[in-house]
Amino acid sequence: MDKITRREFIKIGAGAALVTLLPKSLLNADKTAAPVIGVAEGDNSKLVKAAVDLVGGIDKFMKAGDVVCIKPNLSFASNIDCGATTNPAIVRQMVQLCLDAGASRIIVLDHTIHEATLCVERSRIEEAIIDKKVSLVTLQQERQYTDVDVPGGKELNRIQVAKAIQNADLLINMPTAKSHSATGVSLGLKSLMGLIWDRGYLHRVNLDRAIAELGTVIKPGLTVIDATRALTTGGPGGPGKTVVLNKVVAGIDPVAVDSYTVGIAQWYKKSWTGKQVKSIRAAADLGLGEIDTANMRIKQVKV
Amino acid sequence: MKLRIKRSRILRWIVQILFLGLFITAFVLTRYSVPVTFQNLFFKFDPLILLVVSIAYRTVLAAAMLSLLTVAATLFFGRFFCGFICPLGTTIDIFDVFVKKQKKAAPILRSGKYLILTFLLAAALLGTSFLHFFDPLAIFERSLTLIFYPAAMYIAGIFNVGMRAIYTESAIAFLFLFIILGLNFISQRFWCRNVCPLGGLLALFSKSAVFKFSFAEGCTECGICEKICPTGAISIEKMSVDSGECIDCLRCLYECPQHVFEYKISLAPKRLDLSRRQLIGALGAGIIIAPLANSLLHRRLSGRLIRPPGSIPEADFLDICIHCGKCMKVCPTNGLQPCILEAGVNGLWTPRLAARIGGCEKNCNMCGQVCPTSAIRNLPLEEKTYAKMGTAVIDRARCIAWEQDRVCLICDEACPFAAISSLNETVRGTTLLRPFMDERICTGCGLCEARCPIEERAAIEVYSIGEERKRRGSYITEEKIRLRACEEKDEDIPSGFIIDN
Repeated sequence: MDKITRREFIKIGAGAALVTLLPKSLLNADKTAAPVIGVAEGDNSKLVKAAVDLVGGIDKFMKAGDVVCIKPNLSFASNIDCGATTNPAIVRQMVQLCLDAGASRIIVLDHTIHEATLCVERSRIEEAIIDKKVSLVTLQQERQYTDVDVPGGKELNRIQVAKAIQNADLLINMPTAKSHSATGVSLGLKSLMGLIWDRGYLHRVNLDRAIAELGTVIKPGLTVIDATRALTTGGPGGPGKTVVLNKVVAGIDPVAVDSYTVGIAQWYKKSWTGKQVKSIRAAADLGLGEIDTANMRIKQVKV
Repeated sequence: MKLRIKRSRILRWIVQILFLGLFITAFVLTRYSVPVTFQNLFFKFDPLILLVVSIAYRTVLAAAMLSLLTVAATLFFGRFFCGFICPLGTTIDIFDVFVKKQKKAAPILRSGKYLILTFLLAAALLGTSFLHFFDPLAIFERSLTLIFYPAAMYIAGIFNVGMRAIYTESAIAFLFLFIILGLNFISQRFWCRNVCPLGGLLALFSKSAVFKFSFAEGCTECGICEKICPTGAISIEKMSVDSGECIDCLRCLYECPQHVFEYKISLAPKRLDLSRRQLIGALGAGIIIAPLANSLLHRRLSGRLIRPPGSIPEADFLDICIHCGKCMKVCPTNGLQPCILEAGVNGLWTPRLAARIGGCEKNCNMCGQVCPTSAIRNLPLEEKTYAKMGTAVIDRARCIAWEQDRVCLICDEACPFAAISSLNETVRGTTLLRPFMDERICTGCGLCEARCPIEERAAIEVYSIGEERKRRGSYITEEKIRLRACEEKDEDIPSGFIIDN
């Protein structure tokens, strides 16, 4: 390669300086475009594909041969109709979708709160383990985690994150829509706490802000919220009031998906917006995504 | 070291290893996901458990009635149980292979096992069971649970498989097993011939067994049989085999060069040599030591002693529990732990729920299923969730929601019965959700204590307050059902919401 002359160097330097002065919106044109939310409603056995298709189809997120991590919520050893854990039928559809797209390996994983064997049994998640390529991993041991720095974190400096997701090509977050006694609702962002080792630590600091900071480190490629039923009181573990919605909400923008889902049910017998949930708002403030439903492109389909 | 196994002993080794394997298989399969079928069957064939527990408990232990079959078989064939089935006996034999050159002049302490049996019965008459220190099956099962299981899981952990298993008391159990095996250095099968009260009990029946070994014509008094007999049952001088000592190992039958031994029907019972003085001594020891065993037992000292769900009343529990450790092995949260002194001196190795390590999962009743003596009742799942073990108490001075205004509420999250509610409460001018306990709903499962995120002692701890211990009958009441139906319970709005005005 030729040597760079002084003149060229100045030109490039000036150009680079100019670029930094440009408004962010011009540089990340794609990101700031209205995030798409896919909402499928109706027949529980078809919801996942319908919702994912609305946001571009599974092929947009993965290619054949990829390793995919699917993170449902398996935290509690409660019956599936309670709504404290992700509906296994919904997870199974996602697994099938990834298999059809040619995934080489699919890991269904979560760090459960109650004892893992019981959570697995009660959540009936094994119904989603439908192929040799699919494995179920409960993240109950410290050795399954590795340290990750949280750049610019105020509440978190360094956390232990599951190794499995760092080695995967795609992380699909599949929380269940439920209320939460501390954070109000527990959706996609809150559910990421099932991928770290010391979840108790987040409660010792400012929980809402810590959840947002967690979102800067763990970034699912796709969030698919199981809202076939929602545990609207008594969450996150139940028992409480469970309402049937028969919906699945999918999206790339983790803040937008959560923010939209807040509005689809009443939590603690009241209506809320995403902006009223501190952890979601904190995530929006950190630039993780769009919180205002008016700025989203919401596509709905009935199946 | 060369291991040479004589052909004549192969039959017994095979049977012994098979039974040991069966015992260990039963142990390994004592786990949450495996239905309980044969896992505790060995204990049901142990007549010592039937005898001692029934006397101490003043009720015939129905769970161990099968052991009458063992007694009947012994009345026919002698102590084959010791020679072929007992897993501790087999372990002692295996250990013996590695012990070189034992002293031949073994001390004659064989009345020891009868005296220990007498001691056990005397104590049982006073209502105290010392079975756990002497019953070979309990000792072996407990050693597997407290010593080998955590060790195996530790090694598995190095290879990144399996879950942790930690027990708060393994050292005494290890020392105990170490001594039992170490006694082999004094003489072969020292434990079995001199100490084991189950051996003693079976020996009493074996003395009048139908089939016995005996000398036939042609003995040259070469002395080989006396040397090889692992229990010293053969006396060439008297030309007799003490069927009480004989464990049917068959070695004399195969290894006598003249083949003078035969195994045949002989109805004359063998004499039991026990002096009156020895017997009175053993009885006296039982009577004196039994009350001492209850030292350190005081209701107010045991406030943190939480028994497994469905445990029968404490006094009965201590009589029936054989401290085998099966419940601790099967507990999926590792929460059931061996007592050291929490339940008194004699409560060593009895199970307690150490909720800081793991709580009692709502959907599990395995401890009751595997308990071989029903010290923990085998309650159906629904029934078990109503058996109150204690009550969790919130320590507001330690709680970070109360003391440091943190949004914690993990206890509320962990509680499977919604006994904890998060309610707005103003403390030092700050209004925030803080945990409140409804002690009427709390079952004392300790899942909250296990999850409490603060260091060291939890800010919510289970005490035995309000524990329900019943020998029989249901724990479910209409009042409890009503309290638990909490769907319409009022909840305050979580602090994670911003309430607009």
